[in-house]
Amino acid sequence: MYPSMRSIELFRSVSVDDFDSCAACLLKRSNAMRRKGRRVVAGQRVLLRDEKDRLSAPLKGKNGNTSLIPYRRILKNLRRLQMKEQQKKIKDSVGVKLLKKKKRTSWFLKVKDIYSRSDERIQQVDGGFFEKFGSLFREHAEMAKTKEQEEKREVAEKAAEITPKEGDEEDNDETTLPVIAESEAEDSAASASDSDSETEKDKGDLIAAAFNIDELYTEILYIIIHNVGCNVEVSQNALFSYAQDAFRIPNDKHRKLMEEAESKADPELMINVEVIEAKELRSKDSNGLSDPFVTLYLASNSSHRYNTSVKSMTLNPIWEEHFALPITDKSIDDSLCLEVWDFDPAETVKEKLGKIFDVKGVKGMRKLVKEIAVTATTGQHVNELIGRANIPLNTIPASGMTMWYSLDKKNKVTRQGIVKVRVSFSSGKNNQVAQQEHRHMRRIILLHELELSKVAPHWWCGNFTYQGQQLLDQHIAQSGLTQTEVELCAYSVYAGVHQNHPLSFTLFSKSLEKLVKPLQTETICEEEVKLFWEATKKLLPSCFSIIRKIRKKGTTEKAVMKQVIEVLKILNYIGILEPRNIELFPSNLYPWVTFHGDGPNCDILGTLSDAVSQGANDWLNHLIENNRKPDESELARLQNLIQLIQLVRSDLQKAIEFYDKLFIDLVKFQYAKCLYIFYQAKIATLCEPEVREICKSLKKLHYIGYSYTSAPTNSDPEEDPLSEGTSLFEVYLAVQRFVTLGQGLCPADYDTFHIKNFHQWFHGGVAQWLDIAVYKALIRIEKAVELDQLVHVDTNLKYSSSAVDALTIFYQVKTFWQQLNWPDVEGCYTFIAKIIDDICRCCVFYADKMAARVDGMGDSQDVYEKKFEVTNEWCLAINNIDYVRETLEPFTRDLGMEDVLKKLADIKSPVEADRCRNTLNNVISNAIDTVRNKIIELLEIVANKMGPSMKRLLIEGAELGSQGCNTIDRLMMYVDTNLSTLHRELNDENFNRILEIVWDLLSEILNEIIQTNLEKRRPPPFFAKLRETLNLMLGSFKNPDDCSNCDALRRTEQILKINGLETADLIHQAYIEMANIFDKSKETPYGEISFRCRFQGDSLQIEVINARNLFAMDSNGASDSFVRIHLFPEHKFIGVDKPKTKTHNKTLFPLYDETFTIDLNPEQASIEDGLILFSVKDKDMLGYNNQYIGEAFLKFKDIPRTESSLSSLPQVKKWLCRPTTTETNVLKALETRQGDKQAKDFLRKYKQRMGS
Amino acid sequence: MRSTTKNTLLKVVILGDGGVGKSCLMNRFVSNQFDEHSFHTIGVEFLNKDIEIDGETYTLQIWDTAGQERFKTLRTPFYRGSDICILTYAVDDKTSFKNLDMWRKEFANYADVKENNQVPFIVVGNKSDVPTEEREVSPLEMETWCNDNGITSCIETSAKSASNVQEAFKMAVQHWLKLESRADKSETVINDTVDLSKKQTENRTSCCIGSSDDK
Repeated sequence: MYPSMRSIELFRSVSVDDFDSCAACLLKRSNAMRRKGRRVVAGQRVLLRDEKDRLSAPLKGKNGNTSLIPYRRILKNLRRLQMKEQQKKIKDSVGVKLLKKKKRTSWFLKVKDIYSRSDERIQQVDGGFFEKFGSLFREHAEMAKTKEQEEKREVAEKAAEITPKEGDEEDNDETTLPVIAESEAEDSAASASDSDSETEKDKGDLIAAAFNIDELYTEILYIIIHNVGCNVEVSQNALFSYAQDAFRIPNDKHRKLMEEAESKADPELMINVEVIEAKELRSKDSNGLSDPFVTLYLASNSSHRYNTSVKSMTLNPIWEEHFALPITDKSIDDSLCLEVWDFDPAETVKEKLGKIFDVKGVKGMRKLVKEIAVTATTGQHVNELIGRANIPLNTIPASGMTMWYSLDKKNKVTRQGIVKVRVSFSSGKNNQVAQQEHRHMRRIILLHELELSKVAPHWWCGNFTYQGQQLLDQHIAQSGLTQTEVELCAYSVYAGVHQNHPLSFTLFSKSLEKLVKPLQTETICEEEVKLFWEATKKLLPSCFSIIRKIRKKGTTEKAVMKQVIEVLKILNYIGILEPRNIELFPSNLYPWVTFHGDGPNCDILGTLSDAVSQGANDWLNHLIENNRKPDESELARLQNLIQLIQLVRSDLQKAIEFYDKLFIDLVKFQYAKCLYIFYQAKIATLCEPEVREICKSLKKLHYIGYSYTSAPTNSDPEEDPLSEGTSLFEVYLAVQRFVTLGQGLCPADYDTFHIKNFHQWFHGGVAQWLDIAVYKALIRIEKAVELDQLVHVDTNLKYSSSAVDALTIFYQVKTFWQQLNWPDVEGCYTFIAKIIDDICRCCVFYADKMAARVDGMGDSQDVYEKKFEVTNEWCLAINNIDYVRETLEPFTRDLGMEDVLKKLADIKSPVEADRCRNTLNNVISNAIDTVRNKIIELLEIVANKMGPSMKRLLIEGAELGSQGCNTIDRLMMYVDTNLSTLHRELNDENFNRILEIVWDLLSEILNEIIQTNLEKRRPPPFFAKLRETLNLMLGSFKNPDDCSNCDALRRTEQILKINGLETADLIHQAYIEMANIFDKSKETPYGEISFRCRFQGDSLQIEVINARNLFAMDSNGASDSFVRIHLFPEHKFIGVDKPKTKTHNKTLFPLYDETFTIDLNPEQASIEDGLILFSVKDKDMLGYNNQYIGEAFLKFKDIPRTESSLSSLPQVKKWLCRPTTTETNVLKALETRQGDKQAKDFLRKYKQRMGS
Repeated sequence: MRSTTKNTLLKVVILGDGGVGKSCLMNRFVSNQFDEHSFHTIGVEFLNKDIEIDGETYTLQIWDTAGQERFKTLRTPFYRGSDICILTYAVDDKTSFKNLDMWRKEFANYADVKENNQVPFIVVGNKSDVPTEEREVSPLEMETWCNDNGITSCIETSAKSASNVQEAFKMAVQHWLKLESRADKSETVINDTVDLSKKQTENRTSCCIGSSDDK
């Protein structure tokens, strides 16, 4: 509508290219002009125009600036480069921060080197899956920040290109930067559309104004001619020329109208005086105070006096009284006189005497005495002059002034006090007409100046050029407008102009500040009040537009803040005025207002709230629109949601940081809370259906068979349930954080928010997240094992990096769980159970992977044999698993199990909580057992691997006999080395376990060797050697206590011992075995034998006494029995008698009563395991085939060595027995010696005895 | 300290409508107790129990689940890696019987059982102690349903009177053994270098690595 807009744009487009040379000069000059109020010569205008032409020239002819373009490009590129570098720095620093944080949280600082090294690589497996969640928001925030900075920088760049340097504008109280043309064009377009109907009316106004524009112009010329006040620095001609320009009056018309003006009568002028207050007046009364009043008059007309009221007993009176003195003498030599008097009331002497008690000081007493004297003598009272001030009229500016004047008194040097007055000129013009004139004039001048100065929108804040101001001041003075009237006029004019060319809001807030009081005290007529509200209605849409567009990009934060502050001030003032029954917010202009009350809507806070919500809504919709793409995948939709929520959060953050305090301070409006309430509803409606739907359609994650396959390739990330679940989790976290923000922001309303129960939307997703967490953990574990160098992480620690990594991974799962922070207790309980179960799965998986990793280590093969050495790696693997197992329980406690159970007990019952506790404990102990089994499995693998070597060495040792002591040494060394490796590396528990396994294995191996070699009928020395080896090993590696537990080993040793004996010894063993068995038997059918024995020196005395209940061998029911005595071991008693008793026929109770003395050599007598065998037989008729009845043994060690006679010894009674078993080891060993005649004979006889 | 015999671990999941007596069944089996007024299960419950079949000891890790709909998301994560699924209904509750189909599907969906593998389902009709006039599902109906759905093992139990409870779990294990041996056979046919002795230790001693046929 105004050419100014176009030219401003033109100016800008030029200035981009050629700013420095022209625009700066131009602006500098005009600013300087304004500031210094220098006399403007007529030629100035021409100069300005010339410059404008010069500016537009390069645009017309494009050739002029081509050389500048490359330079600018280079500059831009440079800036971009710098920016990138800066971003990189930011990113780097973020990275460093993350790293630092990770290290800080690590609980094993000792091992951080290895840890961080390998862990970083483990992260690479899944792109830092777990790390991402922890730093998700920081990252996003950084990203957003960088982005923002980028944008800001761009803006600043642009601004720098088009903004004049501000250095010269010191007295311009607007410090904001002019805003970018594009955004403002949009803005003003918006405000234009907001005020369509207003524009129509505005046009009408203009036309109406045009009708009497000549008249107005004449009035202005008239005013210039009749200049009042002191401001005559600007020549009349300059003012004429300025007015002509502003009103666009052609020269001829100007002359005509000038004549008209000159012919007009002089104006009737008044001087308006407001006596405001006085201070520090001299006291004139006895009480140290005065009762001052002011008298004022014009020097030219001293008889015409005006008095103020008397303010009693004060030295600092406040009057605030108005007077209008007509100026009769037009010369400017006249002056205004002010006299301050002390009023002396008509008191009697008596009354005055009564004051004696109020007298202050000697001076006061003197005054009182004087007063009393005067009153007493004259009977009069006299007012006393305090002081006088003289104000020449030519010192008063046309715009009027407020000043302190000091009071003088003739012949007095001392200060009499100061008085404050406001003086201004006015005319006796019709006030209504004058106001209207003033409004038109102001509007025209303002538009003129706006066009002239090309000031940016929202920039102009009430500073006219000197000429403009002069004209307005003159008009005000000469029309006699009061300050309030002028302010009102200005307000309404500015509000009107503001609709099309936005002015600074500071202008309005200041104006309102001045207007509020008069409007409140209702000293203003109804019509003017109406005018005020009309203007306010024009102003308000732009105010709310600022509120709504608070997020607008392209302005500096400071500028926005400034604007918002001013707008809020405006709203505050309007709020103070308590508009009633005024339709402030017509629904056609404010379609977004949700006012539901009756009558006209003038609810400012309500509208503010709506504007805030609406602004947020517009912004949000804009974001959504811009991000929406057709055919979006679920993943992309989730990403959008995350981004949206983050943007909303940062918006809220900004609101809290910057705006909230402003809103509360200025208009008592909880901005952030209002925003939050809006956002929470919006986010809930946006997210809930989306999330619920996605949760329903989540694809299953297949990883059940993961254990031995490699990670699936994520060929299509869009289809990947992993990234979908992850994104969903990010949404969850984003919403969670948003909700937390709300809890702090609106604690009272929080419970009513729909978003409070957001976790329910995600219900279906949790299982998926747990699966993902496990899946990721499994992949990481695999990687950790792969990367493990199998060296100690530290000399003090007996495990390697993968154990540390595995644990880290568990703690990452824990962190994941903490982040989930699931609000539902029942859910928490089951999810914890699931997590424990999953961690157990991971443990077992880790154990498997670890076992596979070390498999084959320590194996070696040369030409002759396969070897295995226990390696550190094996031990580490076992330790690793054990370490992980040990941490399982503390880990599960860390999950917050007790807390959850406590809560469960609260909301359910302690009994149910206990059941849940049992379940969790069961799951935990189950997990620990499972892993322990896994360890045992590994230990067995190790022991089994040692088996073949031990077996080979054992056999060799036995085969080579005495020459092969080397081999035994080798075996010993082998076992020794391996066991000491194990002992050094494993913890005690596991070492003892493996020791046990090894010994079990060893006896198994031995048994096996014995069995196969028995079958091979190896000679006794073979077994003897074997036994020797075994004993050696037993002696060196096992303490006897342990060995005693080891039955298997003892049995093995026994077998070896037996098989290592020569046949004769073996046979003797058989007899000993028989003796032992017989001694235990009771009540045999064969009868009982009684005897006495003793050693006397080396001779053995045996008395066979009798037998009872002998087995009946003969057909007559009786036996013909005799007893033969043998001594064993047979081969040691060769040549020794085998005495026998006489035969006692046909009796089952024979009385033998025979004593034998067998002489032995000392050696024989001292055989420890020597035996006496009493063999009872039935005499055959022919004497060839004596039948065997039974036998009894007596051990040498049971025979007393005594000198006392046999008869003094007790009888020994033994049951007669027959051998019953061939299943003893000794007999079995004898049976294997089939080529041995001795053994064969023995066995034959033995079996005969069994059979008979 | 060291377990001398290594047991085979089997993960068992008990499913069925709320109130059919899943927890009672488990408690009867594990601790031979019966509580007429037991609470609703919250999400899941877990107990261990050894059972001996043909001289071999099996450790059953029994996951008892909550039947109520609202617990669905809480119980389904536990299906994965199950060896046996016991579908439970109450013989005096026709609806719970009709819902077996739903449970079967839910399990198959969340347990991540591969298509060609047979799911080791067994069907248990609990509360067989109720008087005949209160009975709504006959054994015949149960058998028919099982036949229609390819489930070969079904049994009626009473956790209250302790009848058939041990048998039911025994049956479940035997059923699993049958499937297992079949799987073994098919595996041996395909890959004749499979180390059968290794098989037992590698796949069946873990509590949670999936079923044995995931190799």
